[in-house]
Amino acid sequence: MRFCIVVSALTFTLIFRSASAGDDVRVLSEKIDQLIQQPLAGASPSPLVNESAFIRRVTLDLAGRIPTIAELDRFRSSESLDKRAELVASLIESPDFAFHQRNELDLLLLRRIKRDDQWREYLLEAAQENRPWDQLFREVILPEVVHPDDTRPSAFLASRLNDIDSMTNDSSILWFGVNVACAKCHDHPLVADWTQAHYYGLASFFKRTYRTRKGMLGERFDGMIKYETTDGEQLDSHFMFLNGAMVDEPGHGLDDETLKKHQESIQKAEREDEAEPPPSPEFRPREKLVDLALHDEQSFFARNIANRVWARLFGRGLVHPLDQIHSENPASHPELLDLLADNLHASGYDLKKLVHAIALSDTYARQMQMTDPSAPESDNTTPPDDPSLFASALPRPLTPYQMALSLKVATMGPSEMVGLPAGEDWNQQRESLERQVDHVANRLEIPDDNFQVPVSEALWMNNNAHVQNDYLNRGQNRLVGHLAQINDDTQAIQVAYQSVLSRDPSQAEQSSMSDYLQTHADRREPAIGDLVWALLTSPEFRFNH
Amino acid sequence: MTNKQRVGSPPENKLSENGFSRRRVLQMAAGATAGIAASNMSAVDVLASESLANEIRKNGKRVILLWLAGGASQLETWDPKPGRSTGGPFAKIQTHVPGIEISELLPKMSTRLGETAIIRSLNTKIADHGTAYELMDTGRIAEPSLQYPHLGALIARELGRRDSKVPDYVTMYTSTEGRREGTAGFLGGRYNPMFLTDSMIPPDIRRLESISDDEHRERDALRRLVGDAFARKHPHSVFGGHNASYDRVRGLMASDHLFDIEKEPQSVRDQYGPTQFGQQCLIARRLAEAGVPFIKVARAWWDSHGQNFETHQELCADLDHCMAALLDDLKSRGMLEDTLVITLGEFGRTPQINGSLGRDHFASAWSCTLSGCGVRGGTVFGKTDEDGHTVVDGEMNAGDLFATIFAALGIEHDKEYMVGSRPVPISDFDSTPCYDVLT
Repeated sequence: MRFCIVVSALTFTLIFRSASAGDDVRVLSEKIDQLIQQPLAGASPSPLVNESAFIRRVTLDLAGRIPTIAELDRFRSSESLDKRAELVASLIESPDFAFHQRNELDLLLLRRIKRDDQWREYLLEAAQENRPWDQLFREVILPEVVHPDDTRPSAFLASRLNDIDSMTNDSSILWFGVNVACAKCHDHPLVADWTQAHYYGLASFFKRTYRTRKGMLGERFDGMIKYETTDGEQLDSHFMFLNGAMVDEPGHGLDDETLKKHQESIQKAEREDEAEPPPSPEFRPREKLVDLALHDEQSFFARNIANRVWARLFGRGLVHPLDQIHSENPASHPELLDLLADNLHASGYDLKKLVHAIALSDTYARQMQMTDPSAPESDNTTPPDDPSLFASALPRPLTPYQMALSLKVATMGPSEMVGLPAGEDWNQQRESLERQVDHVANRLEIPDDNFQVPVSEALWMNNNAHVQNDYLNRGQNRLVGHLAQINDDTQAIQVAYQSVLSRDPSQAEQSSMSDYLQTHADRREPAIGDLVWALLTSPEFRFNH
Repeated sequence: MTNKQRVGSPPENKLSENGFSRRRVLQMAAGATAGIAASNMSAVDVLASESLANEIRKNGKRVILLWLAGGASQLETWDPKPGRSTGGPFAKIQTHVPGIEISELLPKMSTRLGETAIIRSLNTKIADHGTAYELMDTGRIAEPSLQYPHLGALIARELGRRDSKVPDYVTMYTSTEGRREGTAGFLGGRYNPMFLTDSMIPPDIRRLESISDDEHRERDALRRLVGDAFARKHPHSVFGGHNASYDRVRGLMASDHLFDIEKEPQSVRDQYGPTQFGQQCLIARRLAEAGVPFIKVARAWWDSHGQNFETHQELCADLDHCMAALLDDLKSRGMLEDTLVITLGEFGRTPQINGSLGRDHFASAWSCTLSGCGVRGGTVFGKTDEDGHTVVDGEMNAGDLFATIFAALGIEHDKEYMVGSRPVPISDFDSTPCYDVLT
């Protein structure tokens, strides 16, 4: 298994990389805890998780996979007083971080409208150099201007090109946290902020977009939208951003004949591979949109991404739902959202720093709520159960890549993970691992707010040959084969729990699993496969918690 | 009256928690084997169990959708115009219902309209395959950023039982043309279809040969032990929901025989005939009989831009035979009054006949049928002009058709789901059921 080399590389880094977070990151992290603590008004939040739970959670969040048993061992045996911060810092700087960031961005921006490997490669490059979020926004919304020779970032718009409503509303939701779809046919019925003028104002910025046969985006010289109000009045749209800021178009200043020539040249480029690149207008609506969004005093752009990063790590936004940033749906912690947004802006939209600060906070490291029927009601020691207080962690279903990678990592053979030469090209190894799990990731459901594990997934885990042949493979260099070599049941069970669930089994678990193995002593190897399978199919594995 | 329900926290959650503790008691009382026995009931056992049978009878309505993919011609089926320039070569025939005439290509159906209502006045406006398919399978125009559930998912949600031992949304689409899986959209993956494409058996429903049934069952019991223990420790319903999906697996596996028409007497198989469509209609009947609330059988290749008449001669014969066989079979088993059979495609075909003797896409004046459950049989609703270009009476859009389907099944057509903070009605805004075709 080539991936085994990767693991030792991480071990290597953990030893030699100095683990330090900048002072600004630590200050932000402490501020987060203060602002979450204040509204609890004396009630206790859930306690912090233990170190096993912490490394699982943070490795899933920062590396996009569960930790290997070697990583678990190393972390648990470290005697450093600052070991959590060291772990977070090393994960933030690990190659895995960029891969995971790429997968998250792809999921966010393209969903599964299409699978586009070139776009994924572009996102990976961006994530690897921690490209500022505002720069990424500019590249994706204005690809033909920022990278005239690179069609890869155009996938976001190109995949929605046939549908201006998708282009408008998806852009609005994903970059600004605002769902304006309800304002298409009428002013928003519940939210006074959003009128039809906002919807068509935003749509106007996208209206002129076209794509050449060669895959470049461009903008036409004219074109506005006419729409009808609920009173039947016909109106022309204006270029208008969500905050009401408008742009006046200077007019293209072309005579009819030239305009017609340009239009024909655009049509030709849309149809023909060999066409000359058509001329571009001086007034580019999408460029204006980018400028307006980045100079917006209400900072929809910064608040949106701060809120999304928060939601990614907590399973819920400070503003919730994530596409409802408006005056009638205030943030649960307004000051905190402003702080995170301001901080992002001031740091040059450094997403890595924001993730780092959140992952260092105590708020991030809290336990989930526990069922405790014996606790007296209104007991001050019970954490409040309102999820918007962030007093306890919420369960978060693994994303398709988190799940597919974790299935693979969990079932690698632990014996292969140690003693290999360090320093191999880790990026390449991770890349090859991702390719190996692509087909599994692509068949898993994308989690949303109402996520339920589909029964098709349960059937697949039960009866698909891939699960049997890969995850339960009995080869000596795979988990099941490795466990079968361990004669002592107690130890085998412990390794199974550590590999799959990243923790030690409880005494009760030890004894029921031992019972199972003893009852099936005549078929010990398959029984070990059963044990591993039962852990892989447990909700504890399927969720980050 | 509207009935708001929040998506993602259905009342069934409560049910599953009760089931959960009941199982726990069972296990504590008798060891893990009791749980195993309970989970190993086959679909037939479930029907035999009295309390469950009552529940199925109460909610025992189901839908079989015969999907005419590509768009069948209304002129060669339910709304013939012989003698007109648009009419084509085929005659119309008098059916057993006085005053109702249909194309001569559907002779068997002409004697079986007693439980069927023909709707001739669909004006759904959209005539490209992809968009029209979305429209006719969700009952509304697609909207950016909100994925609407397809009809099967809505029916599964409304008529299915959370812990059902059989699938609740099966779609058979073995032809390659226009193969579309369907989605539960905002209702969540719980209601996604079991999708049959390259085989008559659903994927992953059969145990691998390398593992015995006993081993499979024991492994499942072990999973329960681990999964339930975790779910008990935390008050989050997502964990119980995860276990509930896995808990359905053995029941679903036990339903694999439903897909096996070898289990039917030869006489019944002969009745449906040897075509793939016929065989899938028979599977659909078997599934409906076992309590599957929604089954879609797609029959492709209706997209007759050229040689429309030869195409319809062939395909209508198949449709006529299979639809008649299905209705006869459902009726003789006493199932028709609880089973709604719909024939529908994404649109109809142009009255104009093109240069290749074909008919093109047409969504302004076309037909569909509803039979069985809740339907006033022997009726025709709506009217097109004498050449079939426009609807002149009783115009219906996709939302109205969906509202009618829900009303036929006793589902409130204006109930709302809460998607985040937004109420979404089950049939599109301003939709009205067509009560003329309902009992």
